[in-house]
Amino acid sequence: MIELSGITKTYAKSAVKAVDDLSVSVRDGEIFGFLGPNGAGKTTTIKALTGVLRPDAGSARIDGIDVAADPIAAKRRIGYVTDNPELFARLKAAEYLNFVGDVYGVSSADRRARTSEYATLFGIKDALGASIGSFSYGMKQKLLVTASLLHDPQNWVLDEPMVGLDPKAAFALKEIMRARAAAGKAVFFSTHVMEVAEKMCDRLAIVNKGRIVFTGTLAELKAMQGADGSLESLFLELVDDSAEESA
Amino acid sequence: MSVFLSLSKLYVKSFYNLPGKKAPGSKATGKEIGKLVGVAALVVLVAGNLGYLFVVMNLNLYQGLAMVGMQGLLLLNAAVMATMLTLVVGFMTSLSTYYLNDMELQLLSMPIRPRALFGAKFVAVYVTEAALSMFFMVATMVVFGIKERPHPLFYAWGTLAGLLLPLPALAASYLIQIPLLTFARFLRNKKTIMIVGGVIGILFGLGLNIYFQRMMPPVADPAARAATFAGPGSAVSAMGRGYPPAMLAWRAMASPASASGLVAALMLLVACAAGPALVVLLLSGAYARSLVGFNEAHIRKLSKDGAEAFIARRLRRRRPFPTMVKREFDMMNREPMYLLNGPFIVVMLPLIMGIMYAVQKDALLADPDMAGVRALIDGGMGAALAGLVGAFMGSSTSIACTAVSRDAKALPFIKSLPIGPGAYLLAKLGHALIFGAVGSVVGVGLISLFLRLGAADALAGLAASLALSSLLNLAGLWLDTANPRLEWDNPIAAMKQNPNAVIMMLGAMGLLGGAGYLAFVWSMSAGEFALWFGLAPAAAFAALLAPFPRFGERRLAAMEG
Repeated sequence: MIELSGITKTYAKSAVKAVDDLSVSVRDGEIFGFLGPNGAGKTTTIKALTGVLRPDAGSARIDGIDVAADPIAAKRRIGYVTDNPELFARLKAAEYLNFVGDVYGVSSADRRARTSEYATLFGIKDALGASIGSFSYGMKQKLLVTASLLHDPQNWVLDEPMVGLDPKAAFALKEIMRARAAAGKAVFFSTHVMEVAEKMCDRLAIVNKGRIVFTGTLAELKAMQGADGSLESLFLELVDDSAEESA
Repeated sequence: MSVFLSLSKLYVKSFYNLPGKKAPGSKATGKEIGKLVGVAALVVLVAGNLGYLFVVMNLNLYQGLAMVGMQGLLLLNAAVMATMLTLVVGFMTSLSTYYLNDMELQLLSMPIRPRALFGAKFVAVYVTEAALSMFFMVATMVVFGIKERPHPLFYAWGTLAGLLLPLPALAASYLIQIPLLTFARFLRNKKTIMIVGGVIGILFGLGLNIYFQRMMPPVADPAARAATFAGPGSAVSAMGRGYPPAMLAWRAMASPASASGLVAALMLLVACAAGPALVVLLLSGAYARSLVGFNEAHIRKLSKDGAEAFIARRLRRRRPFPTMVKREFDMMNREPMYLLNGPFIVVMLPLIMGIMYAVQKDALLADPDMAGVRALIDGGMGAALAGLVGAFMGSSTSIACTAVSRDAKALPFIKSLPIGPGAYLLAKLGHALIFGAVGSVVGVGLISLFLRLGAADALAGLAASLALSSLLNLAGLWLDTANPRLEWDNPIAAMKQNPNAVIMMLGAMGLLGGAGYLAFVWSMSAGEFALWFGLAPAAAFAALLAPFPRFGERRLAAMEG
């Protein structure tokens, strides 16, 4: 379970609040979509909940563990897919998986089994001996997803996970998300692809200019807006409304 | 602005990581101003040191040559030196920037003529070359100008020579590289290029070192030394005879106010401009074509059965700390830019020392003053020298003082992992200390061999070397944790252009120089040296290490990547 409460963050080099008093909770067994335009504060929020950034105010709790108070224990319960797969280009894929596995304390048998399972699913099994630098963007993304699942985390946090994935891999990823939620684990992902959010999310939050403008189910969103359009049109309406209010 | 000028500006900014203009109305903060002043002071210090070195070298040479009335040869030497230095640096720079990054592919898709594309790249590389060449020419002009009071045109021709001499050297570099990269597909890879370029650069550098050593043989009689330098078989004479631009620069500067001087200057202008003009005219198209398909990656795939066996064999659990130290090794040693400017120093410095020893061995051993020096060496200075050289080698790899900067891109991900900041930074320190130990052993071992030290002296030197290099490495890591360079596009910025590396290099020179001075002034025995310069740095290391994890935790938390 992921609980964000009153998260506020202003970057040192900026006068504007990147995230302003943001509260969200993601229950076990649910897929939660975090939607918003570019620069809305999605990645900053994810960085706060994964312990990458220290918020100015508010708290992040993972399965009841405060990220600020006990970061190591909280981070052990998260599998994180960053929005930047251009990492560790000089390492080989297997070396990267071993690094992540060692840091999360995954046994040899588990890491072999999970690597084999997910690498097969994403079609990168035959490339595990190659350097990450030789991978395409999509292959790097698949490797990050595989690595994030090595320790079978209770909470899976994905920042724009569909970017760069081919249709087959995107389908596989959605299947894994559903399977994990069905197994009682929490899935939290950010996206600005409305179709994905519409089909995948049990609940969603829409963030704009650092503030939550909606949290709930798609049905609740439709009811609130009094319209029966697609998520895309509802999203655009909501984001435009909040922009006008703040202006 | 023309496409050529616009591109040249873009390349120059990209090469040298120049900051962009501040937004109108935004004021520089106190920290930014302080940083700017610090960097400016550092540049002045480094330039001053280099300038001093070049001036002293020229002064010594002038005094020797003046004794035999051949002081004009100083100018030929300057032209030869400027050519050789710019050839070495130019070849390396042009090769390492041949394909800067994937921005080049973007440029290829734009309506830019190949001549503008290549010409702009040429200009950007030339900026460094011209600065280096001018540096040496100015040092020579200062010495020769004060001593000989030449005609004012001397300075004009000297400046012209300084600006022109790098041009043929750079054109020659591209003349080799463009056909090579056009036809040898395996070279069209940034990593391969860096390794090949690094090896060539090292060979060039060693060649230059031999030239330096032979240029000034340690003969006690200055006149004999000058005669050796200026003789027909000398390197300067050979280069002067074989390379017309150097000869023309010499003639122009040697008789600046005469018609022959003017003719030589004009011929120099034509000779030096012809090379780049021809290369740009004839090879621009080939250059642009050679950029296509650069950095193409080929993945070596495993078979279905092979993949399973690979997973079973290669995926296995290890303890987290050794894994983090291994990551530090892999990330550094597999990036040629980091390897060649970092750990490779441990190989490079002994090679340079070996050359110096081999070239000057006979003269050194024959020098009557060496009898007195031997007594000093046996009295404890041998151990001190071994310890200080070892400590310098152990701390000169820049591993610690660039450790956080090198990880800039990966920091957000690293911070999301369940590892404490202290453990993360201690893995970096472990990496630096391992190389510190290797550098110490190599440095102390070599000096012990050269100076024929006994086991006790060598061990005393090693103890001090390990303590001093450990302290310097920890200080470097503190510095880079306190003030890392986190915003960069090119790994050069994290390593070679990182002010922390320069500060630590100068700091190490200062500390080790001071330690050597104290050891000499206080006539320390080997045991005393080991005691003072082993225990004191070790105590300082322990004192710095204790608060480091907490400091690192605070600093990493403040880094908002």
